Amino acid sequence: MSAWGFVFLAYGIVWFALLIYLGNLKRRFRKVERELSSLRSSGGLKKNA
Amino acid sequence: MELLKQTLWVLWKDLLLELRRRESILAMFFFGTLLLFVFHFAFEIPAEKAAEMAPGLLWLAFLFTGTLGLTQLFQAERENHCLDALLLSPMDRASLYLAKVFFNLSLMLLIELVVFPLFWVLFNLAFWNLLPSLFLVAFLGTIGFCVLGTLFSAVTLKARARELLLPLILFPLMIPVILATVRGMEIILRTGKFTEAFSWLRLLIGFDVIFFTVGFLIFEWVIEA
Amino acid sequence: MAGTMQKRGRGRRVTGILALAFILVGLYFALIEAPPDAYQGDVQRIMYVHIPSILTAYLSFFIVFIGSCLFLWKREKRDDILARSAAEIGVLFTSLTIIEGSIWGKPTWGVWWTWDARLTLTAILLLIFVGYLMLRSLIEDENRGAVCSAVVGVIGFLDIPLIHMSVYWWRTLHQPPSILRPDKLPWENVHPSMLIALAVNFAAFILLYFYLLSLRFRVGEMEEEVKTLKLYGGAS
Repeated sequence: MSAWGFVFLAYGIVWFALLIYLGNLKRRFRKVERELSSLRSSGGLKKNA
Repeated sequence: MELLKQTLWVLWKDLLLELRRRESILAMFFFGTLLLFVFHFAFEIPAEKAAEMAPGLLWLAFLFTGTLGLTQLFQAERENHCLDALLLSPMDRASLYLAKVFFNLSLMLLIELVVFPLFWVLFNLAFWNLLPSLFLVAFLGTIGFCVLGTLFSAVTLKARARELLLPLILFPLMIPVILATVRGMEIILRTGKFTEAFSWLRLLIGFDVIFFTVGFLIFEWVIEA
Repeated sequence: MAGTMQKRGRGRRVTGILALAFILVGLYFALIEAPPDAYQGDVQRIMYVHIPSILTAYLSFFIVFIGSCLFLWKREKRDDILARSAAEIGVLFTSLTIIEGSIWGKPTWGVWWTWDARLTLTAILLLIFVGYLMLRSLIEDENRGAVCSAVVGVIGFLDIPLIHMSVYWWRTLHQPPSILRPDKLPWENVHPSMLIALAVNFAAFILLYFYLLSLRFRVGEMEEEVKTLKLYGGAS
């Protein structure tokens, strides 16, 4: 593998991994946000009941 | 000194139990010896290399044997809610830590006292006169092992797969001790004197002091969690 | 309460955008503007991600330490969430550091792995991080898990200097110093673009790190809130 091959391999792995992790975090964020808002609204109903 | 009295009391209880049932010490001793046998089959150790490899092999054997002892360490307290009873009493938590450290230390030292000469015989080593100095280095290393190991034995007390988890957490943190003890013993075997090994010994003593203090202070939080 | 959340969210977005900007500029400097190294050629460009990665990994561990100390002292949930988040991201950056170091090592030394001090230490750091996270997942009681992993976080950090010392002594006593180490920066005849590339990439990684940490922390906070709501009903 040429020198640039190694460089692109290293850079590629780094940014790929970071992007995957970021995507994962964002997915978790949206999921928990949804859960939280649904719990809050149903919880509010319970309080008033 | 109240702390000392409580420590001695718990230590005496553990030693008495051990004396009567001898489960831990016999198992540890046979396991340690068994490891030496396995090493002999696993590694081709020519006579000239035996002295070079001795510290590493010995220390490996002690590490695994000691881990065995650590998983057993709080066994008596786990049965019959003994630990809860101890925690309900106004006993200083640190004395439990001290007692357990000394208990494990005593067990390991006894085993080392036997296994060291045994190793020498099994692998046909000379240098019998260096054994006391080697033992001193091993002693310092064993203190480091017991100090940190007791703390993590308590940390993993209620964890699943604790027999796997304990070494997983403990061994990386033990690396300074492993390196210092083995290198120190190597230097003594090579040169016959302590002088070159001083920096390693200082590291060992530093390790022992630091983590003894930290363990002493932190143990209370761990055991009460 | 909502006001601070919004401010934090905004700060996070700003950090994220800044991070992206620095990353792009950093990439330009690292791959195009900076000249190839006199000895190693273009392979040396890996340094521009490797050094920031290492520093970010150590920074993460420091934050685990701070979070763990604060948690053991004050027992506030948010410190535990901070430590946990920093540990997770720390594992990521430490693994990346090792992979980068390995890839850099292959053309430079001819081997994928060597037990030189830097790689060995990073591997040990990874092991400690992993132990921290495994402990958490294997202890069922939430509170005990938090306390116990905090203990690992504190002791692990205190042990690092000792591990450093022992590994370095071990390596310098046994290996001749003639091996060219890729992290040896040639301070004489350094082209200014190399320094700029390093600085920009370093800033990029730090900004990215704090962006990820803040996001992960927020996720952790919200997950805690979900748990509390589920446990105690609608009272919030």
